[in-house]
Amino acid sequence: MKDQRVTRIEDLPGPKSQGELEEMKMPYEEWCRKVFAPGQEKTKPESLKGIRWLSTTMYIFTPHSVANLAELGAECIKVEMPRMGDPMRHTSPFNECYLYPLHDSRPMTGTGLGFTNANSNEYYITMDYHVDEMKEAFYRLVKLSDGLTECYRPGTFDRWKQSYRYLQELNPRFIYVWGGGFGYGPKVFGGSYDILGQAHAGLASVTGFHEDFGGHCTKHSNWCIDWYSGTQITVAILAALYWRRKTGLGTMIEFSQVQAATRALGYTVPLYGRFGIVRQRWGNWDTQLCVHGIILCGKSDYPDEPNPQLKYEARYAVVSAFNDADFKELCAIVGRNDLYDQYKTLQDRVKPEAQMVIYKALEDWAADKTRSEVVKTLTDAGLLAMPVMNDKEVYECEHFRQRGTIRWLDDPVFGDVLIQSGYSCGLMSKTPRRVNWIWRPVGADNVKIYHEMLGYPMSKIEQWYEKNLI
Amino acid sequence: MCDIIWCKDCDTVNYLDPYYFWNWEGKIKCAGCENVYYVYMIQGHMYKGPDKKPGEKEDILPVYADKPNQGYEQILPGTEGKTRPYNCLPRHIYLGRADMVKFSARGRPVRGWRPQPPSTGVAGSCGFTWDIQKLSPEVWEEFQEKLKKGEVSDW
Amino acid sequence: MAQKIREVEINSREDTLPLMGPDVRPWPVTPPPSQEEVMAVYARRKAEEFGKWCEDNLRIDYAKDKPEALQGVRVLSCGLWRMGHKFAAGLLSELGAELINVEPPEGDPLRKLTPFGREEYMLEDKNGDKCGLDFIHELRNAYSVTINLETEKGRELYTKLAEHADILIEEYPPGYMDERGIGYRQLSQINPKLIYCWVGEHGQWGPMKDKVSKFGQWMLDPFGQAACSFIHNTGFPEDLLPRGKGGDPTRSGVWFADYVAGEQTAVNALAALFWRDEFSGEGQFIETTAAEALMDILDFDITWYGFNKSIKARTGGWDPNLNQYAWNPCKDGYMMIGGQTDRLWYRIGMCIERELPIFGRLIHEDPLLKEMAARNALQALTKTYTMTTMWLRNINRVEAEEKLMQYEIAAGPLLYIDEVAEFPHFKYRPWVNVLEDEQYGTLMYAESTNAYQMRTPARVKWLGRPLGYDNPEVFMKYLGIGQSELRELKEQGVV
Repeated sequence: MKDQRVTRIEDLPGPKSQGELEEMKMPYEEWCRKVFAPGQEKTKPESLKGIRWLSTTMYIFTPHSVANLAELGAECIKVEMPRMGDPMRHTSPFNECYLYPLHDSRPMTGTGLGFTNANSNEYYITMDYHVDEMKEAFYRLVKLSDGLTECYRPGTFDRWKQSYRYLQELNPRFIYVWGGGFGYGPKVFGGSYDILGQAHAGLASVTGFHEDFGGHCTKHSNWCIDWYSGTQITVAILAALYWRRKTGLGTMIEFSQVQAATRALGYTVPLYGRFGIVRQRWGNWDTQLCVHGIILCGKSDYPDEPNPQLKYEARYAVVSAFNDADFKELCAIVGRNDLYDQYKTLQDRVKPEAQMVIYKALEDWAADKTRSEVVKTLTDAGLLAMPVMNDKEVYECEHFRQRGTIRWLDDPVFGDVLIQSGYSCGLMSKTPRRVNWIWRPVGADNVKIYHEMLGYPMSKIEQWYEKNLI
Repeated sequence: MCDIIWCKDCDTVNYLDPYYFWNWEGKIKCAGCENVYYVYMIQGHMYKGPDKKPGEKEDILPVYADKPNQGYEQILPGTEGKTRPYNCLPRHIYLGRADMVKFSARGRPVRGWRPQPPSTGVAGSCGFTWDIQKLSPEVWEEFQEKLKKGEVSDW
Repeated sequence: MAQKIREVEINSREDTLPLMGPDVRPWPVTPPPSQEEVMAVYARRKAEEFGKWCEDNLRIDYAKDKPEALQGVRVLSCGLWRMGHKFAAGLLSELGAELINVEPPEGDPLRKLTPFGREEYMLEDKNGDKCGLDFIHELRNAYSVTINLETEKGRELYTKLAEHADILIEEYPPGYMDERGIGYRQLSQINPKLIYCWVGEHGQWGPMKDKVSKFGQWMLDPFGQAACSFIHNTGFPEDLLPRGKGGDPTRSGVWFADYVAGEQTAVNALAALFWRDEFSGEGQFIETTAAEALMDILDFDITWYGFNKSIKARTGGWDPNLNQYAWNPCKDGYMMIGGQTDRLWYRIGMCIERELPIFGRLIHEDPLLKEMAARNALQALTKTYTMTTMWLRNINRVEAEEKLMQYEIAAGPLLYIDEVAEFPHFKYRPWVNVLEDEQYGTLMYAESTNAYQMRTPARVKWLGRPLGYDNPEVFMKYLGIGQSELRELKEQGVV
C-alpha cells in the first residue's frame, strides 16, 4: 500500500534513472531505432497472447483477417480441404513459382507464391467438415477457440449446422466472422473476388487514364482490395474482443469486401450525392493538387540491363510542388517561369487545362534526362520528388532493410524466403508483430491439433486420413 | 472475323488483344506468312477489314498466334519476324512453366524444385525442420560448393 | 409514373448545379428491392430461414438499437493533409470510440481542397465556412478542436488533453512533436497508458524518412505508393497500350496507401489496447507508414524477387496468376469475369460458346489450355481474353451479368459512382447511404464497413465538423477552461 504522504520518484513525471534520462536526450531518430529495435521482436511479448482463432477461409481476403491476428501473436488454426488445400495454393505468377511439397501424396505439386503472406504463422489442419463424422471434432475446436473466420457462400455453414446460429449455443463467447462479396440482400449468393470488388464498387472507375488520353479503367495491382478489406475485418474482430472483455459475449460480424472498396473513394460519394457529378479517371495526376503527379522521363536508369523492367520501365518519377513557393521554384528549374506567372495559385494550377500544360512542360524538360537526374535535380533544390521504385529497388532499399520491414526468413520447412509482410504492417515498441513461418504443407499439423489438442487417439486420425476425411 | 484474323493462306489465327486494338487503325502482318492486313477497329468491332494489302509494310505484328488445324501449333510472343515481343515482362527470359529453383536470390537453399522426397508423418503431419542434408544431399553438396565460392550472401 | 417537366435554361455549368442535389433528386432514384423480393432469392437455395435470421440480426436498420464496441475509448487524432490518421481514427470512432480531432487554428489544409479547385463543390457550414468534400467524408463522428502547437500555451493544452486519451494518432513530419516536447517520449511520462501511433508516408526514421520541402511542403500520397513498387506494378503494359497513352505505371485514383496505413494503424492500436488492458497496463509507441503497409499487401511481389529475381510487370486489367480473372471492354463499358478452376472456367466457356461457337473451337479444344496452371501463361491470357471480348463487345454489362449469373459465375459490371449508388444490392443494404447532417445538410457517404454486426455494429453519426466547433465543450470538460479564458486564448492565437 502506498503511503500518500511520501513522494516517490517513480510517481513523478520525467525520467527515473540515468538510462531513462539518456533516452530522453537521445537524437530522435536514434531513439526510434532503439525503441522499435528491428530484429529484436522475439524478445518482446505478443499483444494477442492467448487468443485462439479458427480460419476456414480461402483466397486472400478472409485469410488476411486471420493472418493479422497471427502476426500479432494469436494462435491460429487454418482448416483446409484434404489433399487439395486452399485454391490459392495453386496460384502462381505466370505459372512459374512454387515451393514444394504441397502434400506428400502429390510430389509434383507445390504451393504457388500466390499463397504467400495471407496465412503466416498458422497451424494447418485438414477437415472435410460437412461430413457428419467430423462434426464432433469441429465442435470441439469451436469450444476451445475464441472465434472463427469463414468465407463460404451464405447458408452453406448453416446447412452444415455450423453457422453462428448453432455455434453460439456451444460457446457464447465465440466471435464469428463471415466475410464475402455481398452478404444479405439481393446479390447474397454472388461470388466475389478482389477484382470484382474493384470493378463493382467504383474504385476502378476513378483509377487509370481517362479515355480522352487513350486510357482504360485500371486495376489496382495485386489483390489490393482483398487484403485491404481483410484488415478491416481485423479491426472489427479486435473491437469485438474489447467488448467481450467487458460483457463476456461473442458476436457475429458480416463483412462485405465489395463495399470496402467504396469506402476508400473519399469525395467521390458525397460529390455525386450532392451535385450529381460522376467522378472520372485522372491518370497519374491529382484532382485536388498540382503539381502532384508522376511524369515520364526520357531515359532509363539502366539502359544496359537485360531485364525489361529495368531497361524500359525505370523512367518514371513522382514530382510534388503544389504549394506556391514550391511551384515557383519548380518552374524556375525547368526554365518555365512563365508558367508560374500564369498559374500563381493552387486554384489556377489545379484546373484540368492548366494541369495539361504544366505536366507537358515537365515531361518536355525531362525528355533528355534519366529518372535519377530528374529526382536529383529537384531534391537538390529542396523540392519533393522520388523515383517510382520497382521490386528490385525496393528490395535493395537500405531504408526498408534498416527498418526490418523487408527481411530474409529461414522458413522451417521451405528454406530461404524473402518476406515483405508482417513486419511492414507497423512497428510496435512493446508488442511487435512477427513472422514465424510463411506457411506449412497441407495438413502439416493434423497430429498436433487432433491428437494433442483435441485428444483423439492416433488410430482414429489414421482412420480419418484413410477415409479422406482429413 | 474480327478481334482475330484467321489467315486462310497459312491457316493461322492471329489474336488481336482487346486493349491495344479496341480502337485502332493500321496494318498488321500475319504471324504465319507474309500477308499484311489492313484493319480499322472501332469499339472492338472490325469497321473495315481485314483487307489484304500485298506488298505494303506492316505497322505492327500480333503478340500471339496459333494454328488450330495443325495441332494448335503456337507462335509464341517474341518469335522473330512473326510476333512482336512482349516487352513488359518480369525478366528477360519468359518461361510460362514452373521454374525449378534450388537457391534463393542470395544463394541459400529453398525448396523450389520437384519432386521432393516424402518427409511427413501420420496424416501428412510434419515438424518444423527440413533436413536438407538427409533429404536432398545433392543440393546440400551444391550449397557447400557455393559457400566455398562465396556465392552466398546476406542480402 | 409521369415526369414533371421543368423549365430550365442552361448557359453555364453553374446553372446546372441547382438541378441536382438531394432535394431535387433524392436518393435512391428508384426504390431498393423489397424484403419480399429478397426472401425469394434466399429461397432459391433453400436458405429462407437462415436469410431471415441474418436480416433479423445483422440489418443496419437495427444498428442504432445496439451498444457500441469501443464505448469509453478516447482517441485523439492530430494530423494534416493526409488520410491515414483520419481513416484510422474514423474506423475507431465508427465503432464507438470518442474522437477528438486536433487542428491548428487555421485548420487542416485538406479542408480547402476540392476537385479541380472548384469552390462550388465545397459545402458551407452554418458559420458560412466552406469545406472540401474529402475532409467531410473522412472525418467521422469527430469533435473538432483547435490548438496552436507552435505556442507554449498550446503545447501545454495539448499535453493535458493527451493525459485523458487512450489512443493518440499523430501524423506530422518526423520529429515535429518530439522537438516541441509533445512526442511519445514526453507524453508517455505523463500518461504511461497512452497508445501513441505515428502515421506517415515512408517513416520517421531511416535513410528514406519523410521529408518536407525547403518551403515546408509535406510529402503526400502517392509518395507511399511509389516507394513500395505499387505504382510500378499497376497499369497497362506498353504491349497493351502505347506508352504515354495509358500504357504507363499508374497510381491509384485515390490516396490508397494512406487508407491502408490507416486501417493497419487501427489494428495495431486495438491490439495494443488489448495488451494494455489484458496484461500490462502499459501503453506503447506505434509507427505505421503508407509505403510499408501497402507493401505488406502487394501479394508476393518482393518475395518473388527473392525467389528468382523477377521484377513484377504490369498486366493492366488482367492477372498473371489467374485465368479467367479480368475485366475487359464490352459494348457499354467493362465487364469483370472470374473463374479459374476447371469447373468454373468451362462454365464461363459454355456460356460464351452458346453465342459464339468459335470460342469452343479455339479455346475449349486447345490442348494447351486444358490444365489450370498452364492457362496463366501470357499467351494463354492473350488468347482467352481476346476471344472473351469477341463475345463481350456485342453485349452490354447488364446482359453479360445476367447471362453469366445463369451459370453461377462470379461476374460483375465495372460501375461508376452513379451506377454504384443505384445498384440494387448497394441500396438494399445500403452501402452508400445518406444522413441529415446538422451542419452540411443531406450528405451521401460510403457506409461503414463494420456496420453489419449482431451485437456491436459500427455507425456513422455525423460527417465533417466546422473548425473548432467543439472547443468550448472539450476545453471545459477535460481542461477546465471556461469561456472567458477561452476567449483570451483565442485572442492570443492559441486556439
